[in-house]
Amino acid sequence: MKHSFIDQYCDLDSFIHRLDPRTKFVASLAFILAVLLTPAGKWWMFVFYFLIVLGLLIFSRLPPTYALKRSLAVIPFVLLIAIFIPFFKEGEIAGSYNIWLWKISVTYSGLFVLANVVAKAWLCILCLILLSSTTKLTELLRGLQQLGVPQAIVLILSFMYRYIFVLMDEAMRMQQAYQSRDIGGSLLRRLKTFGNMIGALFIRSYERGERIYAAMVSRGFDGQVRILNPLRLKGADVFFGVVFGVLLMSPYIILLVQ
Amino acid sequence: MHIPDGFISAPVAVGGVVVAAGAVACAVKVTNRGLGEKQVPLMGVLAAFIFAAQMLNFPVAGGTSGHFMGAALAAILLGPWAGLLIMTCVLLVQCLVFQDGGLLALGANVFNMGIVGCFLGYYIYQGVTLLMGNKRVVVLVAGGIAGWAAIVVAALFCALELGISGTVPLHVVLPAMGGVHALIGIGEGLITAAVLALVLATRPDLMRLGSQRA
Repeated sequence: MKHSFIDQYCDLDSFIHRLDPRTKFVASLAFILAVLLTPAGKWWMFVFYFLIVLGLLIFSRLPPTYALKRSLAVIPFVLLIAIFIPFFKEGEIAGSYNIWLWKISVTYSGLFVLANVVAKAWLCILCLILLSSTTKLTELLRGLQQLGVPQAIVLILSFMYRYIFVLMDEAMRMQQAYQSRDIGGSLLRRLKTFGNMIGALFIRSYERGERIYAAMVSRGFDGQVRILNPLRLKGADVFFGVVFGVLLMSPYIILLVQ
Repeated sequence: MHIPDGFISAPVAVGGVVVAAGAVACAVKVTNRGLGEKQVPLMGVLAAFIFAAQMLNFPVAGGTSGHFMGAALAAILLGPWAGLLIMTCVLLVQCLVFQDGGLLALGANVFNMGIVGCFLGYYIYQGVTLLMGNKRVVVLVAGGIAGWAAIVVAALFCALELGISGTVPLHVVLPAMGGVHALIGIGEGLITAAVLALVLATRPDLMRLGSQRA
């Protein structure tokens, strides 16, 4: 089975890839917060933030179509929001349509909310794509631990990451076996089969977990995991952090001055 | 139901992060007390299990397909705190690797699917089996209701967060999300019951894990 879709471009080499995972994580959080706090209708700010993330994407040498394709993941949610736009009753009406028996009218205020939400969501997901495709998950987890995330969570996550591939293989094999023998039948019957698959997967996973634990204990595991060479912030991280921080803040400073 | 960044306002997102972080810190302590050093490998593998189970698609009518959330199932089998820990790890990896759900919105997602999904599912299951006894039928029905309710109430909280953020009008989104997920939840409920039936038939000892460690 193929799992190349995980960590696909983390092995590229660029200025962004070489930054400390902590720098990238904190910068991403700051970027998302800055975008979320942008007042509605300040389009020049959205353009400014888009240019920042676009510049970083170019710097990181990711294939542009990849980032674009990945960012389409927000579309289902955009559609969900779009369905509710006609229900914003207040404000001037932009257009009304007769669909079968319903008269649907769309107001400018509804479209305004939609445009703002889509702009924010798209900028945030581009930033998240940049973070996750320039940082290996194992590196990111080490960064998170040094940022104060409890060790237990980080360890569980790194175990999970190791076994995702194993269990996904198992799940995909089951699905393949099921699909090649599937003779249809009622939805209820299919759901029952599906439940059996998940149940079998659960029991196998649980037993695997116990075997892993036994193997670890027999090799001297005492609940602690010791890490060699902890991460160190470099000059490039400080430089990037300062420049990025100033860039993020500058639109707000302009807003305050105005 | 994975809310991406941008759909909920900054105060709602940050509020979600604070609540979720507190609950998860508590979950780490509680499961560590129950499992000790076994916590890390077991929770890690079971989080990978929920992740893999969510990747399986089952065909629904009309060419669409659905997948399983598993919060109620994890809570019933392993207890609500362990369930919360597992769901948090699943959501974190989905966010960081697949951009499924936002980074700052992660708090809200953990709240909806982890805290609400696990605790509601667990207590409904415990309540029903306590009242009606521990017979096989009761266990399956209780599991089904728990799975259904976890989906519906998680969706209602998701709608509430979107409404408070001003992204959608609350009075419309609440009944709409509730209604749609009342249908989707039927699938989740039936699958939860089917999984419990299989575990009950093959490894009934695993059914008691949740109540031991509550």
